[in-house]
Amino acid sequence: MLRKIFLPSILLVLAYGFWISPNFKEISAGVAIFLFGMIALEEGFKAFSGGMLEKILKKSTDTLYKSIGFGFVATAMMQSSSLVSVLTISFIGAGLIGLAQGIGIIFGANIGTTTGAWLMAGFGLKIHIAQYAMPMLVFGVVLIFQKAKSLKGIGYILAGLGFLFLGIHYMKEGFEAFKDTIDLASFAVPGFKGMMIFIGIGILATVIMQSSHATIVLILAALAVNQITYENAIALVIGANIGTTITAIIGSLSSNIDGKRLAGAHLIFNLITAVIAVLIMDQMISAVAFISDHLGIASDNHTLRLAVFDSLFKIMGVVVFIPFVDTLVSFLQKSIKPGKKEVEEFEGVKYLNDSVLELPTTAMAAIIRETRHLYTNAFEIITHGLNLKRENIVSDMPLEDIVKDPYSNTAIDIDTFYNHRIKGIYGEIIDFSTKAQSQMSPANIEALYAIKLANRDIVEAIKDTKYLQKNLIKYDKNPNQYIKEQYDSIKIGLAELLRNIDLISKMTEEDEIILLLSKAKVHMQQYDILANGTLDKLIRHDLITNEMATSLMNDSAYAYNISKNFIAMAEVIFIDATGDIKNIGEDMLISDEDVDLILNAKET
Amino acid sequence: MGIKKFIESVVELLELDEFENSGKKKSLKRLLEKLKARKEILNKAVKKKITKKEKKELKEELAIVTVQIKKAEKILDELNNKKEAKVSKKIKDN
Repeated sequence: MLRKIFLPSILLVLAYGFWISPNFKEISAGVAIFLFGMIALEEGFKAFSGGMLEKILKKSTDTLYKSIGFGFVATAMMQSSSLVSVLTISFIGAGLIGLAQGIGIIFGANIGTTTGAWLMAGFGLKIHIAQYAMPMLVFGVVLIFQKAKSLKGIGYILAGLGFLFLGIHYMKEGFEAFKDTIDLASFAVPGFKGMMIFIGIGILATVIMQSSHATIVLILAALAVNQITYENAIALVIGANIGTTITAIIGSLSSNIDGKRLAGAHLIFNLITAVIAVLIMDQMISAVAFISDHLGIASDNHTLRLAVFDSLFKIMGVVVFIPFVDTLVSFLQKSIKPGKKEVEEFEGVKYLNDSVLELPTTAMAAIIRETRHLYTNAFEIITHGLNLKRENIVSDMPLEDIVKDPYSNTAIDIDTFYNHRIKGIYGEIIDFSTKAQSQMSPANIEALYAIKLANRDIVEAIKDTKYLQKNLIKYDKNPNQYIKEQYDSIKIGLAELLRNIDLISKMTEEDEIILLLSKAKVHMQQYDILANGTLDKLIRHDLITNEMATSLMNDSAYAYNISKNFIAMAEVIFIDATGDIKNIGEDMLISDEDVDLILNAKET
Repeated sequence: MGIKKFIESVVELLELDEFENSGKKKSLKRLLEKLKARKEILNKAVKKKITKKEKKELKEELAIVTVQIKKAEKILDELNNKKEAKVSKKIKDN
């Protein structure tokens, strides 16, 4: 209800403002153009966030200080801490980074946002900034119309910067003209009460504009023409810093639990920093004066002094919080817990949420991680379906001994496991992939298709295990030693396959991965009992009945399919996207002819 | 000159298409080194006194590594030939 009223009310207020004051119209247009510039800048950076993103993130966020540095650089480049916060939530949602790393990025983004104040105070207000905006806009728009993704990206960045500059220009012009008609400074309220009122206005303005950057630029523009006092401007900056957390909070609503925790961390960090700043306001102002004097900033140059305050205030917050990052993480883990839906009996997805749809790369990373999650569940179901223990498979235990140590005396119900731990996740992966691919390039869509097939392979492997399970139980205690041996051999073969796939999932050395995948492919041929003469021999010597022969033939085919599907899945989801193997993996995977070659070489 | 042709010329001038291939070549060379080292170890291990089963496993691994080495060398040759063909085409054009 409130939402329905909110937008028309805002539009009405704006329209009324435009009617009574052309200057207000100019300032608002400046803010609108500035915000549009940020959207264009965001588009531009998205174009460059392709496959390298994961690699860069891994390398630049492995320590807290690196994460802070990454947040600072990213925000300084994109000129939007809100955007960096939302992207960070998206990275967390996709499992690309952890909560502590995310907090580091948020800290860095907070410092990075001060570059905007410096840009505006030191450059935007002194030079006729619109002169730079015009060529940027023209070149930018020309490049936006190009087909090449990189040129398009550069176009968006140029146009974005152009719009930012143009927005600043209009805000400045608007306030200058405004000065002659209304003096906002006459509304200034002194003392603590005034500070609280202006902090509130700062919060409100940032919540409406969804950008502390735009609020600070607006404050600087107003301060430059003495429309507000220096003290009120400081309060507005503090308010803007609290208001900016709303973007992350909105972004986290569609994210996973860690995304919500990060938004919580952002709010706690900015609130506490604001409280500290208010408590030590006199000391802060003295420190700003001291630093400004040393930097040679004139005492009446309030805009640059405000930029100094902005930097000092935000750096102070980060310095205070650095020793408490671990405490903050554990506090958030304790206080923000998964909802009922996330712990219920039917297992749901871990990595797929709307926040990771922000970038094609994060969406892809999330889908790969979710597929690995599906694989982990499938691994357990197949292992138990074969009546084997998972811990034995992933150990060094000889394969022959694994089959002698059954998981249970009764058969597990694969259907129930499938419904509880596979069906929902599989469905969501397919559904999410369809949503994600609308933003993807043709190359990404092709890769996504391979991942979808890998998911199908996992599901098929489980279904084949279900068919195989029936006779595994039937012949497990059969007095006919020959048929029992054959079924044990199927079990040993599949145990070896599961062990190898598990090893591949943990490996980073490409030669070992390739070797294990090849080995698995070669061993898969053992199930071709027609070709290798096993079945012939058993029938000819009357060692098994006709019924047994038919069962064995069918079940060997199931075992072959399980192996084939699991190997195909491993080739897609365990070839590390950032490693050497991604470059050569596909070329080095062995073909059926290669398998024949190896089998022949083995025999000679 | 159309924009597509312009981009193609820039890509050619800066040899950006070689960038991907050279990354692949580097990866292949590294893999080849590892595979050859492994083959040497396997060759030595096969000659040692071991059980029949162990020997069978080692021989299989050796066969796989040999096929992989051949495969890697073939791909590497193809990549080198591609580059050579490009260079000779450039010389001819000039």
